[in-house]
Formats: sequence, C-alpha cells, structure tokens
Amino acid sequence: MNSSFKFRKFKNIFFMSLFALSSLFVLIPLFLIFKYVFMMGATSLNFDFFTQLPMPVGEDGGGMKHAIWGTLTMVGIAASVAVPLGLFCGIYLSEFDKSPLANALRFCIDLLTGVPSIVIGIFAYILVVVPFKSFSALAGSFALGIIILPILTRSTEEILKLVPAHMKEAALALGMPRWKVIYYIVVRSNLSALITGMMLALSRAAGETAPLLFTAFGTRFLSFDLQSPMASLPVQIYTYAISPFDDWQRQAWAGAFVLIILVLGLNLLSRCLINYKAIIDFFKKGSP
Amino acid sequence: MNTNTETDLEVKNLHAWFGQFHAVKGISVVYPKQSINAIIGPSGCGKSTFIRCLNRIHEEVPGARSEGEIILKGVNINAPNIDPVSIRRQIGMVFQKPNPFPSLSIFENTIIGLKLQGVRQKAKLMEAAETCLRKAALWDEVKDKLHQQGTSLSGGQQQRLCIARALAVNPSVLLMDEPTSALDPIASAKIEDLMSDLKKEFTVVVVTHNMQQAARIADYTSFYILGEMIEHGLSSEIFTNPKVPQTEDYITGRFG
Ligand SMILES: Nc1ncnc2c1ncn2[C@@H]1O[C@H](COP(=O)(O)OP(=O)(O)OP(=O)(O)O)[C@@H](O)[C@H]1O
Ligand SMILES: [Mg+2]
Repeated sequence: MNSSFKFRKFKNIFFMSLFALSSLFVLIPLFLIFKYVFMMGATSLNFDFFTQLPMPVGEDGGGMKHAIWGTLTMVGIAASVAVPLGLFCGIYLSEFDKSPLANALRFCIDLLTGVPSIVIGIFAYILVVVPFKSFSALAGSFALGIIILPILTRSTEEILKLVPAHMKEAALALGMPRWKVIYYIVVRSNLSALITGMMLALSRAAGETAPLLFTAFGTRFLSFDLQSPMASLPVQIYTYAISPFDDWQRQAWAGAFVLIILVLGLNLLSRCLINYKAIIDFFKKGSP
Repeated sequence: MNTNTETDLEVKNLHAWFGQFHAVKGISVVYPKQSINAIIGPSGCGKSTFIRCLNRIHEEVPGARSEGEIILKGVNINAPNIDPVSIRRQIGMVFQKPNPFPSLSIFENTIIGLKLQGVRQKAKLMEAAETCLRKAALWDEVKDKLHQQGTSLSGGQQQRLCIARALAVNPSVLLMDEPTSALDPIASAKIEDLMSDLKKEFTVVVVTHNMQQAARIADYTSFYILGEMIEHGLSSEIFTNPKVPQTEDYITGRFG
C-alpha cells in the first residue's frame, strides 16, 4: 500500500465526514424546533382546541377553531387563484425562456420574491382594504396569493428546466404537438416534484403573519364572510404569544404545533396521493 | 442495390443557422424512394443539423432557423405554412443516443406516438406494438417483459426500441443519426439488417461515422465538410473511386 493511496483515502474520509457534519448541523435547528414545539404544543393540545372559540379574557380554556378554519379558507382561496397562475407562468418561463416577455416576467417574479412579506401586506392593505373600507378575508387571501405566486412560478420553472432537451425532441420527433409534449413529457412526468413545489409555496403562505396583520386582521369568532375580518393561525399565535396570560401562551404553542402538523400533513398527503397516481395512471388513462 | 429512381425526398439549397452561426451551407440532394442514404463527414460538419432540418426539429432549438426547400412527395415541407407536427409523423427520427421515455413501459414506449394520435383500442395498439417490435428485431427479446420500463433494457435494445417507436407512427422516411455509434458489433449488425429490411418500405437517411457500415448498407453516400456537401453519389463509386480528393483522404483515414 503506497502512501499516496493512503493519503487519498484519508482525504476521502475527511471530506465525507465534513459533509456529514454539515448536514448534521443543518438538521439540529430543525430538530430542536420540532422538539420544542412538540413538547410545548402537544401537551397544551386538547380536543377543545379544535372545537372551541376563544374564551373571554381571563377565562381559561377555549380553542382556535376559528383560526384553523380561517387559515384553511384564506390559503385555499389564495391557492385557487395563485396555483394555476403560478404553474402556467412557470411552464411559460421554462418552455419559452428566451422570449422578451419571459425575461420581463422572470425579472418581475424575482423582484416579487424579494419583497418582504410585510410590504406585501401594506400593498394589499392599500389595494383592497382601503377601497373597501374594511379589513377582510379577501384582502388576506390576496396578500397570501402574492406570496405564493413568485415562489411557485420559480420552483415550477426550475423543476421543468431539468427535463432534458433530448426527451422533448424525442416526443416532438414523433409528431406530438408542442402542447402535448409540454403536458405529457414535461409536466406529467414531473408531477410529484411540481406538487412538492406547490406545497412548499402553500406552506410559506400558511405560516405568514405579517401580510395578514393589516389585511384579514383577526377576529374572535368563526367567520366565513370574505368581506369581513377573519382569524388565522399565525395571527392568533402572535396575539396569544405576546399576551401576559399563561393559558394564552400555552394555546399559542398548541397553535404553532397545529400549524406545523397541518403543513406537514398536507405535504405528506399530497405526495402519497401523487406517487400512487403517478404509478397507476402515468400515460395509461391520460391520452386525450 | 436500389433500382428505384422515383424521387421521394428532394432537398434544394438548404441552409441552416444556429443564431449567427451558419452550420449547413446550401445542400441540394435527391433521395430516391426505398433507398438507404448515408451521410459521412468529420465531426461538427453539420450532418446532424442537416437531418434535423429534414423533420424540422432543428427549428425547435432556440435561435435556430433554416432556409431552402425540402420537397416530400411534391410538397415543400419547409414552407412556413406547413405544420411541422404533420411532417414529423411522415418523417420519423432515431437519435444518436437511445432516448426511450423513462417511466414508460416497453409497450407504452412503442405505441406512444399512436396513442397520442388518438388510437385507443387495446387490441390495435397491441398489434401495432408487436409489428413494430418485430420489425425492429426486438420482439423476441422483450415479448415476455413488455410492461417493464423501457429504460431497463440494454443500450442496444433501447436503440431498437426507439426505432420501433419511430416506426409505429408509420412514417415514409426514416432519419437515423448515428444509430449504431453506441452499440457493440452484434447489435450494430442487427440494426444494419433492420435498415436493409426497412428500405423496402421506407426511405432511410442515416448519419454514420463508420465507413464500412456506409459502404455495406447505403445505396447512396454524401460526404460533408464544414456544412457543405463535397460529394454525393452511389456508394459503390464513392468508396471505390471518389472524384474529390478530400473524400478520398477522409475515407482512407488521412483526414478528420
Ligand atoms: N445547439 C447548437 N447551438 C450552436 N451551435 C451548434 C449547436 N449544435 C451544433 N452546433 C454547431 O453546428 C455545427 C454542426 O453540428 P452538428 O451537430 O450538425 O455536427 P455533426 O456533423 O453531426 O457532428 P458529429 O459527427 O460530431 O455528430 C458544429 O460546428 C456545432 O458546433
Ligand atoms: Mg451529430
């Protein structure tokens, strides 16, 4: 065994451990967050939390039913507009990436990604809250939609750009029209990655507090009226966490826990669904 | 040898560009029906670009364009008012690198072209798959595992799968870009046999770096340098008695 081989082996081990160590360091905060939120949150969680509205100040108990529904409603409305829009923009950017319109769009999307969420909140406030003269769920959804849009567009673009050009050419050479190539070869074969990108964008939106503070504002009641204020988990967590009451702080932890579970659960669920679907009917039933 | 003198595909003064780069410079050539036509020439001389113009895949590259006439059955298919999609169904293509669709089975890979044209009857698709896989000399090797992934095959089998896939849409011209360059001699020989079979039905245009292969199977051979066609003629003449000195240098290995 000569020494240069040993040295190479040593270098190999050295760098491998370096990479492993860095990965570990990245995992530590994630693990700590989960552990802490789980310990504080899960123990404060009870059935009432999901089924009860907040109690008047000073009384213990009550829950965040209104905020859970509020978050689901507003994220749902935001997603129903921003997800198709983001997907289409992403597909456009990846498939027609050299056109001047695509460059302009990409530039705007990049700018939008960089805008702090509080600024997006102010923007929604001026655009929706001021003219309608009321905080509203609609304004909140609008702000969340603007959060989702650039994230989803860019993730879609990046994912679809990974499809090798020779795959598209193979499909084009068979006489498939461009849109079928995009749909079957580019989009369908990357469905699970696209869904992951979408869930990430939705998770971001579901966890945002700043854009909701002066758009949807908050309420103590369960409301599905889009034109009036609506509670949301992040805002409720924020209000309770800075309150002086023990019980509210406890509930804030529970809220944080539920928020994480909600986002994680949605993510896992959608992936399972998609993987199953992708295996079962990839190209099988799908011909137009 | 090919005795058919009927023209199937004629190219008149074809130019192709990548942005500012002039890759194919005024090629004119006639491909008779049911013939095998080889294109040889040093690397980078524009062989791939040329055949990619013929099925109008070239224009899919950003910034690329082509000019000139490509006449298929009397119609100039390189005109702006012609839909490239319908052209590509008549002019099939096999690429240099085997490129079956990943995550599609062997069966699905074979009939995907038909399927996306709207053919749905299972029996019909199955029949087409068998016919095409037989033509591509792959049937016996895959008939028991049609539902395995196309990418699970060996490189040579994948290439034959891609040939079957191209045949399934029933083209009248088949373009092949170095179809055997990644294959071992046995698989290459199978594909050469296949080409000789195919020419009964198709006009084949094949790019190759293998002189012996061109001499063996091609009725006509063209020699390209730097985007220009230096010489074109019967293979028997090009390989025994080339008229242009560069051709002789190239085929005897003194050039490129
Ligand atoms: N996508 C592209 N963008 C710009 N230039 C290109 C592109 N593809 C090819 N070219 C250039 O066009 C010329 C012809 O390329 P082509 O691929 O047709 O060569 P070829 O004869 O097929 O070579 P080989 O035998 O190596 O496959 C080359 O000089 C190459 O650099
Ligand atoms: Mg080439």
